[in-house]
Amino acid sequence: MAHDNDIAIIGWNISPMVRNTEHTEAQMLLEVITGAVTDAGITRKEVDFTCAGSCDYVAGQAFSFVQNIDAIGAWPPKRDSHVEMDGAWALYEAWLRLQMDDIDIAVAMGSGRSSTADPELIYSMEMDPYYLAPLGADAMSFAAIQARALLDAGKVTERQMAEVAARTRRDGKSRDYNQVTGDFDVDALLATDYVRAPLRRHDLPPITDGACAMVIARADKARELCENPIWITGFAHYSELHNPGMRDLRSSNSTTLAAKAAGIEEGPIEVAEIQSAFTHEEPLLVEALGLGPDTVINPSGGPQAANPIMATGLVRIAEAAGQIRDNGKHRTLGHSTSGPCLQQNLVCILEGGK
Amino acid sequence: MAGTVESTIKFPYKRSLGPVLGAFMTALTEQRIMGIRSGGRVIVPPLEWDPDTGVELAHDFVDVGPAGTVESWTWVAKPTAQHPLDHPFAFALVKLDGADTALMHAVDAGSIDAMSTGMRVAPRWKAERKGHITDLDAFVPGETPETHEGGGAEEPVTMMDYDATITYRIPTTANQLRSDQASEQGRFLGLKCPICNRTYTGGRGYCPIDAIELGEEHEVDLPQKGVITNYTIITPTPYPGQTATEPFSRVHVWLDGTDVVLGYQTLLDVPNDDVHIGMRVEAVWASEGEKVDKDPRMEGNLIGFLPTGEPDNTDPDLVNRLH
Repeated sequence: MAHDNDIAIIGWNISPMVRNTEHTEAQMLLEVITGAVTDAGITRKEVDFTCAGSCDYVAGQAFSFVQNIDAIGAWPPKRDSHVEMDGAWALYEAWLRLQMDDIDIAVAMGSGRSSTADPELIYSMEMDPYYLAPLGADAMSFAAIQARALLDAGKVTERQMAEVAARTRRDGKSRDYNQVTGDFDVDALLATDYVRAPLRRHDLPPITDGACAMVIARADKARELCENPIWITGFAHYSELHNPGMRDLRSSNSTTLAAKAAGIEEGPIEVAEIQSAFTHEEPLLVEALGLGPDTVINPSGGPQAANPIMATGLVRIAEAAGQIRDNGKHRTLGHSTSGPCLQQNLVCILEGGK
Repeated sequence: MAGTVESTIKFPYKRSLGPVLGAFMTALTEQRIMGIRSGGRVIVPPLEWDPDTGVELAHDFVDVGPAGTVESWTWVAKPTAQHPLDHPFAFALVKLDGADTALMHAVDAGSIDAMSTGMRVAPRWKAERKGHITDLDAFVPGETPETHEGGGAEEPVTMMDYDATITYRIPTTANQLRSDQASEQGRFLGLKCPICNRTYTGGRGYCPIDAIELGEEHEVDLPQKGVITNYTIITPTPYPGQTATEPFSRVHVWLDGTDVVLGYQTLLDVPNDDVHIGMRVEAVWASEGEKVDKDPRMEGNLIGFLPTGEPDNTDPDLVNRLH
C-alpha cells in the first residue's frame, strides 16, 4: 500500500547499446529523456528536478555534465544535480529530493560513451591515487583477482561462469537494444584462452555506449499520470573499504546490508536485475542478496549483454520495473555497483499494485 | 560516424602524502615495506584511519616481510602503458609476513605456469628509488628480496607524482563538420529552431531550450556583422601555447539577428584603450587556401573582427547579453 510520501516510477527509456555510437553524450541523453517523458505521458516542462550520472574521465572533458544539461531543456532554469556515479545513484538522489514534499516529478539519467577512450586506462585513474592508480590497476585485473578468490574457495567454478555467460547472452536476445547476444556452447566457451586468467573473453562485459533515463513522481502525481505506477518500496546503498587487499573478496557485505536496509526480507523477489558485469559476480551477488532459486536473475541479459558504464545500474532498475509493468510480476529488485571488486552496492526494491 | 577529434590529455598530478603514507613511501626508498598497527592487526599498506571504526590511528609503524604469500592473482598477458611492467606479469594480492591485509602489486614470474595461490614471493627493488609505490619494482618468486646498495631518501618523502595520459576520440556531429566547412569558406553556419525560432551559431545539433534535434534542414547562413557586448583586456602570463607577450583584447560579438553571442573573439586593429561595448564589427576571413598567421586557437578561417565604422549601438542592456 503506497502512502502519500511514496515515490513511483512512471516512465523510462533505454538507448540502443552499441560499441561505438556516432552520437555525443548530450545527443544520447536528448533521445532517452524524450523517450522517458513521452513514456510517462508528460513533457520536459513538467519536470521539477533532474539528476544525471556520468563521468568526466569517461567523457574526456572536465565538467562534461554541463554540456549534457542541453539535453534537459533547462529554460526556464530547472533544479538540476549531478553525481559522478552510475545513474542508479542519480535515481537515489532524485528519490530523496522528491521526499522533501515541495515538487512532484523528477528525471534521473545515466550516460556513458566508453568508446571515447580505453576503459582499461580510465578505470585505474579512479582508484586510490597512492597505492593503486600508479600501478595501472584496472577493472579487469581486479575482477580476475576476485574471481580467483571465489574459485579457490570453491564458491564458483569456471563452468558455472561460462554457464552464466551463455544463459545471459541467450536471454539477452529478448531485448532489441542489447549489444552482445546469441547462443553459445559452454564447452566451446571453456575451450577458449584466458584473456586475464581466470577470466576468459565470455566472462567480461562488452564495451558499450549507451544511456538511460527514468521519470519518478510523488504518490498523488504518480496515480494521476499513470494507471499502474511502480512503487519504490526500498532503496539503500552501502560502501566498503576501497582497497580490495583489505577486504574478504569471497563475500559482499555492503550488498547484504543494502538489501536488508531496502527491506528485501519483507517478501519474495520474483526477478532481480543485478549489475554483475563479470560472470563470477552473479553467484556472489545472488548469495549476498539472499536470493533463492525462485528468483529469476537478469532475464534482460544484464551487463553481459550491454554494459554502458554510468548507466548500467539504472538500466537494471528500468528492467526490474519493466517486469512489473509489462510482465505481470509483483516484486522485483534492481542492483547497481561501483568501485573495485564490488566496493559499493545499491539495492532498489520495486512493487506493483496500489 | 560523422567524424571524430582525437586529443591526448595529460594528468600530471602532484599529491601530498601526509604523515602515514609519507612514512610508507620513505620506507620504500630504504627498501622496507611498512605497515601500521590497528588494534591487534597490522594494515599494509598503511591507512591513516582504522578501516572498521574510522578512528585515527597512532603512528605505530611496523616493518613487514620482506617475503609474503600470494592470496589471489591474475595474469596480465598484454600490459597497458600504465602497468608497472612492460612484459607479461601477474597482479597479485600479497600478504606480507607479519601483515593482516594484502598489498596489491605486480609479480614478475616469467610465466603464468609459475603462478599459484599460496606461492611465496619477495620484493625486487628498483635501483633508483624516490618514494613511490613503484620503487618496489615487482615481487619475484621465492624468499629472497633483490636489493641494491645504498640508503634511502635523505629527507622524509612528502610528495609524489602521478602522471597518466589518455587519448580520447570525441565525436563531432554532422552539423559541426558542416559548420567547420562553412568557416573554411568564410561563412558562419547557424541553426534555427523551428519551435522557439532562436538562431544558434556552431554545430551542436540540437536546441538546448526545446531539446529537439536540429539537422541540415535547420541550418542557416548568419550575418557577418555584429556588435560588441563585452570585452576583456588580457595581460599574458606564460603557459603552454601562449605566444602573446603584450596585453590584448578579447571581445564578445553578438551577430545581428541571432540569439547567441560569440565569446572571446579577436578584435583587429583597435588599440586596447579604444575597445568598448556597442562597437559595430564585421568578420574578417582568410581567403581560401591562404596561409595566415592567425591565433591558432581561433577556429576555421576566421581571422577576427574589424570595426565597421558604423555608429555605436547605445543600448544599455547590451552588456547583459552573456551568451
